[in-house]
Amino acid sequence: MSKPDLSVDLGSLKLRNPILTASGTFGYGLEFEPYLKLSELGGFVTKGLSPKPREGNPPPRIVETPAGMLNTIGLQNVGVDAFIEEKLPLLRERDTAVIANVFGEAEAGYVEVCQKLEQAGGIAAIELNVSCPNTEEGGMIFGNDASALAKVTAASRAATSLPLIVKLSPNVTDIRVTARAAVEAGADMLSLVNTFVGMAMDVERRRPVLKNISGGLSGPAIRPLAVWLTWQVAQAVDVPLIGMGGIASAEDAIEFLLAGATAVQIGTSNFVHPDGSIRILRELESWMEARNISSVKELIGAALPPRREVSS
Amino acid sequence: MSRDITTSVLANTDLGNGNWLLEFGSPELASGMRPAQFFMIGIPGAATLLRRPYSVCGLPGTFEDRPDGAVQVLYKVVGHGTGLLSSLAPGAPLTVLGPLGNGFTPPDDPEVTPLFVAGGIGSAPFPALAASYEGRFPKPVMIYGARGAGDLALSDWFGERTEMDISTDDGSVGHHGRLTDPLIARLDREPQRKFKMYVCGPEPMLEAVGKIAVQRGIPCELSLEAHMACGFGVCLGCVVPVRRADETTGYDRVCMEGPVMSADRMAW
Repeated sequence: MSKPDLSVDLGSLKLRNPILTASGTFGYGLEFEPYLKLSELGGFVTKGLSPKPREGNPPPRIVETPAGMLNTIGLQNVGVDAFIEEKLPLLRERDTAVIANVFGEAEAGYVEVCQKLEQAGGIAAIELNVSCPNTEEGGMIFGNDASALAKVTAASRAATSLPLIVKLSPNVTDIRVTARAAVEAGADMLSLVNTFVGMAMDVERRRPVLKNISGGLSGPAIRPLAVWLTWQVAQAVDVPLIGMGGIASAEDAIEFLLAGATAVQIGTSNFVHPDGSIRILRELESWMEARNISSVKELIGAALPPRREVSS
Repeated sequence: MSRDITTSVLANTDLGNGNWLLEFGSPELASGMRPAQFFMIGIPGAATLLRRPYSVCGLPGTFEDRPDGAVQVLYKVVGHGTGLLSSLAPGAPLTVLGPLGNGFTPPDDPEVTPLFVAGGIGSAPFPALAASYEGRFPKPVMIYGARGAGDLALSDWFGERTEMDISTDDGSVGHHGRLTDPLIARLDREPQRKFKMYVCGPEPMLEAVGKIAVQRGIPCELSLEAHMACGFGVCLGCVVPVRRADETTGYDRVCMEGPVMSADRMAW
């Protein structure tokens, strides 16, 4: 049997396979070159890029929790200008889809970063970070309020013609509301989910472990939560979805595909094994081969109930 | 270059009081590795998610009676991860990522005496360092402090290779009190002697010793410890505050810009 077809289409964004890596877990991509070939991935998402460099939050910033970890990095990053000057020239030569995660602090910041990245060239798509739970200035403030989310999405939409992904926060009552708001404001696709807000205590010191008190929970612990949210959003909107949350194996990735995601992002698993994303890709390929599945597209949304035509 | 390999435990020795010496075979990781560089070590199938950082204690040749190509890490059982590590028997698989971080740098003058300052399990990187400086610099001085006599792991080994001053919190051996007392006494006693300090231990001790070094203008490298998820620069979880060249403060990663940082850069 010939090799299965792993290619997927996220609207105008064509990927050679559905395995991406998640923002904040993959640096600027280049850090992983000792361990994998970036060109084998479907693509990767950069650390959140802001208009100016950010030093991030005071430590301690991370703590391991059952089947997961809490982080409160605070979007430490080199800033969009240094990214364009120092990282992007190298990334342009790598034959992979570079998706830039954009964080603006305020609406004007999102617009500025989107414009600079599009002008620079070499970016395959933009992912709006409107769901970071660890910064005061923006992030989740946009992601948790449908009208604020629509506003920042529309402004970013107007600022770039690149494919626009909005990364949804799970820290909402009904994720379908924010999903619809982002799509109506011009998002070409949605990625979900960012981390869940949580905290851990140091019982000896009688204090929160993290200096910032709360952090974002990621890792296998959140996978069932994220699959459920993907399932719900897949039935609420008509744009491609990129699923993520605790994926550590091909089977984990397939869960998201079956729930309606067209591609997935590998996150915390990159910390555990730097080549984890490629291992998952190979596992996915052999999983499909063993079951005579010729195209990964057969799996996308395969578990969803048939779409009903809604008459209003 | 750092690599991610699967290897197995060669030996796992109980040194008493919760201190253990783990040995595994890894000629490819050990070649070119420097003292105070570290490994991220994981146990396949363990309930813990993240690997843990361990400073290299012994490189090939450090402990003469150990097999070719083996490396050792010294660790103290403090939590779930280290507890699990101590349960491993020879032959158990390990996933090892390394070598990581920058490592100690030698004095730039062969007349300079290496001065090791180790607090408790902070003695971990010093065997490899002592072995690599043997014959190249004067016999090192070692200030070794711990809670009690039983916590001074490998003190016999160090005693043969360094001029050692011991202190314990409980007074069970050596000076009764903090290791900064014998350190200051040593520096006051030999004001003419040129030292370079190498320090590893708990954070309050690093800070106290680092300040002494900075006040006296003694070159001083601190080997820092931090919680980290990845070990290779991307999680940004392990940062410490430092002073930059332009006098602003910012965060550097223990895993990449460290674990060894010059005491005069720390923004305590």
